[in-house]
Amino acid sequence: MLPVFPPPPPAVEAPPPERSAATLDEVRVAAALTDARVLVDSSFRGASIVLYGAVFNPSDDPADVVVVVRGPDAPVRLVKKTRNMGVWLNSRPVLFEGAPGFYMTASTRPLPDIAEFGQLRRLGVGLDHLRINAPEESRTVTRYGVRDVVVSRLGADYLDWRRAVIRLREAAALYNSDPEGVEFVDEGLFRAEVELPAVAPTGRYSAEVWLFQDGEPVSVSNLTLTVEKVGIERDIFEFAHRRPWSYGLVCVLLAAFTGWGASRVFRRT
Amino acid sequence: MDIYLPIAEVSVNWPLLVLLGATVGFVSGLFGIGGGFLMAPILIFLGIPPAVAVASQASHVVASSTSGVISYAGKKAIDFRIGGVMAGGGVLGALLGVELFRYLRLLGQADLAVALSYLMFLGAIGALMLYESLGQILRRVRGEVAPHRERRRPLWLYGLPLRMRFPRSGLYISAIPPFALGVFAGVLSAIMGVGGGFILVPAMLYVLRMKAGVVVGTSLFQIIVTTAMTTILQAGRNQTVDIVLSTILLLGGVVGAQYGARLSGRFRAEELRAVLGLIVLLVGIQMGLELFVRPSELFSFAPGAVD
Repeated sequence: MLPVFPPPPPAVEAPPPERSAATLDEVRVAAALTDARVLVDSSFRGASIVLYGAVFNPSDDPADVVVVVRGPDAPVRLVKKTRNMGVWLNSRPVLFEGAPGFYMTASTRPLPDIAEFGQLRRLGVGLDHLRINAPEESRTVTRYGVRDVVVSRLGADYLDWRRAVIRLREAAALYNSDPEGVEFVDEGLFRAEVELPAVAPTGRYSAEVWLFQDGEPVSVSNLTLTVEKVGIERDIFEFAHRRPWSYGLVCVLLAAFTGWGASRVFRRT
Repeated sequence: MDIYLPIAEVSVNWPLLVLLGATVGFVSGLFGIGGGFLMAPILIFLGIPPAVAVASQASHVVASSTSGVISYAGKKAIDFRIGGVMAGGGVLGALLGVELFRYLRLLGQADLAVALSYLMFLGAIGALMLYESLGQILRRVRGEVAPHRERRRPLWLYGLPLRMRFPRSGLYISAIPPFALGVFAGVLSAIMGVGGGFILVPAMLYVLRMKAGVVVGTSLFQIIVTTAMTTILQAGRNQTVDIVLSTILLLGGVVGAQYGARLSGRFRAEELRAVLGLIVLLVGIQMGLELFVRPSELFSFAPGAVD
């Protein structure tokens, strides 16, 4: 008698991984950073980080990649020199908010070619679309019968002031926009370089990688990056800010001791 | 060869800083001055934030003055009594000056205060020194005899209360003028980051008419106390003292100062004063020039919200 074997179980058809299925008919972007932590120590002269990623684009429409890296918010006080009786004097400082301490964009094409002004403004992508303003200088008034019109006490100069914030930060290499900064190394595989200058602020940075198609954002990938002081620099910085008085005393004692030591050394020789 | 400065938050070439410290130290040893007035403008030029430059070099002045005071104390060329009165004034002046500087920074007018004080004080002192020493050199060349100087002290020094005896300086005057002089030097040390020797020494010589032998040692003693106070206050109130920066500067500074002091014996006093007067005048004009020249960038960031 032949044993009756149960019928073999039907082969289970394994579902394909979710991601690949999604990329079959959906346009997506995925990205990562070579370094998610930037360490600031005594040899720090700025850092260069590579952001790389892939574009899954099953459609025939070409897609554009825009990388936006934003540092922690750093409000600034801006002064303007004006000439008073032949002498150049600083004006009253004006507080500007909404200016990140670091901001860069890198894209495959110039931003205005990728999407329309309104779209970029809504997403806050591009140096011209940073929400920098001076809230303390603005007040609401009623004009021509329209209520709540926001005007700035800076008057017609307002745009000059705003532009100056960006220009000064650009000069310090803190703001940058590179219309050819995203480079495709292979089919669907791209890289972009993030250059952090030595003066880059410490804190949490966010990186957004946008994928645009026909002027519309179709996908975004969010990454974070931390810039932190380490080692002796961190210890000194913390000491100077947590216990400033003892720190000052240490500085003075060190200076006095050095002076004393030098006079001892040189008297003998 | 770059090093990141933790408080200034910039990276600089450290051998350049050692060289700068040595050069300023050499000048300070050669002329018997603190050299702070030279250091601050150069540090600012190198890209160190002005507030950090002014505060950090105050501790550099502490070091260079300490080695000076030790050698003068060995020669018994310090009047600690009048120096103490002046140092008391200096501490008060430093307190006032640091608060004033803090307030000016918040107003965005710190640059103006620094430029104006450099222009006024360095310009005036430099021009006076140059005029006086050139006159002396000319007279020596022509073989003339120096005109007789009025040796009496201004009478108002005797009209003030709180008279004290200062035997080592050969003075019996009110404590108010030296105290006021100390206050003045203290305010300057907070705003300009200088020791104030270029104001103190002429004032002690020509107004108080102290014995010439104790003037430099006593002013150095006063400068140590004042700048030590300024350093602690700047660190405590403004967090602008960079210990790495000041240490690098001092390493070069103390060595330079010793060589400068050795070389100073080879020159005549009035020639040294003429050169120093010229340097002081040029630095004053250079710093003051920014008030009158149209700046290439009209806008700048004022400290306050960021730090």
